[in-house]
Amino acid sequence: MNPKRCAACKYLRRRCPKDCIFAPYFPPNDPAKFACIHRIYGAGNVSKMLQQLPDQTRAEAVESLCFEAKCRVDDPVYGCVGIIHLLQTQVQNAQNELAKTQAEVAVAQTRLSQTQNSDF
Amino acid sequence: MSSSGNPSSSGGGGGPCGACKFLRRKCVAGCIFAPYFDSEQGAAHFAAVHKVFGASNVSKLLLHIPEHKRPDAVVSICFEAQARLRDPIYGCVSHIVSLQQQVVSLQTELSYLQAHLATLELPQPMAPVSSSGSLQALSITDLPTISPSLYDLSSFFEPVMSSTWAMQQQPRPSDHVFGVPSSSSIIGGGGELQALAREFIQGGQMPAQPSLGTGGSASTVIKRE
Repeated sequence: MNPKRCAACKYLRRRCPKDCIFAPYFPPNDPAKFACIHRIYGAGNVSKMLQQLPDQTRAEAVESLCFEAKCRVDDPVYGCVGIIHLLQTQVQNAQNELAKTQAEVAVAQTRLSQTQNSDF
Repeated sequence: MSSSGNPSSSGGGGGPCGACKFLRRKCVAGCIFAPYFDSEQGAAHFAAVHKVFGASNVSKLLLHIPEHKRPDAVVSICFEAQARLRDPIYGCVSHIVSLQQQVVSLQTELSYLQAHLATLELPQPMAPVSSSGSLQALSITDLPTISPSLYDLSSFFEPVMSSTWAMQQQPRPSDHVFGVPSSSSIIGGGGELQALAREFIQGGQMPAQPSLGTGGSASTVIKRE
């Protein structure tokens, strides 16, 4: 048995086995991380999701789950979809602005070349 | 999308809702899922939600949300669940990272073009003084019209520093993405969007807005929406 329980097993008030699936990703010094993820997904669902993933990808999966869970806790209605919406708006605005500036550059270049031609 | 505000699938008369059909349980009157998961396509959507979040977690989540906001919440939950099933490692986060990279790339390109435009519009040493003053330096009136968009605000008030911001916003490892501020009721109205947008910029190490004499209008524009 793991002498020091991971944050997940501490939260769930159970013993932490040697092969605990949560232990590598939920160190005991960060209890809030598991609490957040448990609140949104539940320990059972997270465990099933991690079991279906290769070992080397589980750390990234945990981080992304934590991020989404935190977004959902902070904004129960939209979660991280709100951020996606914001970014899509930013992209659209940036594309519009880029098109506008490209037109302005074209106009300025035309003006400049006309002025240089009139010099001669 | 099966979400709707109509209680067409309530357990009262029209058979079980999609959620209860999937869970193989009796759909009671007042079932929290019934308005949002119809008995046809709703079951498939609920399957994804149940697999990722679990029925009881979603039920608890919906109970804490005002009723008029629940359709939006269900849509976003279904979206996240399906994204997670499609990409079990990153879920929606990959979409966020990709969009961030697009924004950075566009901002960089725009900064370059704006700098180029500034050099084109600087008065040329050999050029004659024209009556129209078409070669005068870039002035505030030449800048894009104020619009309530996040992007326009940042380029209007920080034309010089926007390139610095763009350079700082290089694609970062996942820990930067996970530091992005969360949205809060973003799709509720322009004012909330502005507040979130400002928070997002500041979270991305946006330099403090310099006062250009029109600094007062910056906050006015932000608050106006």
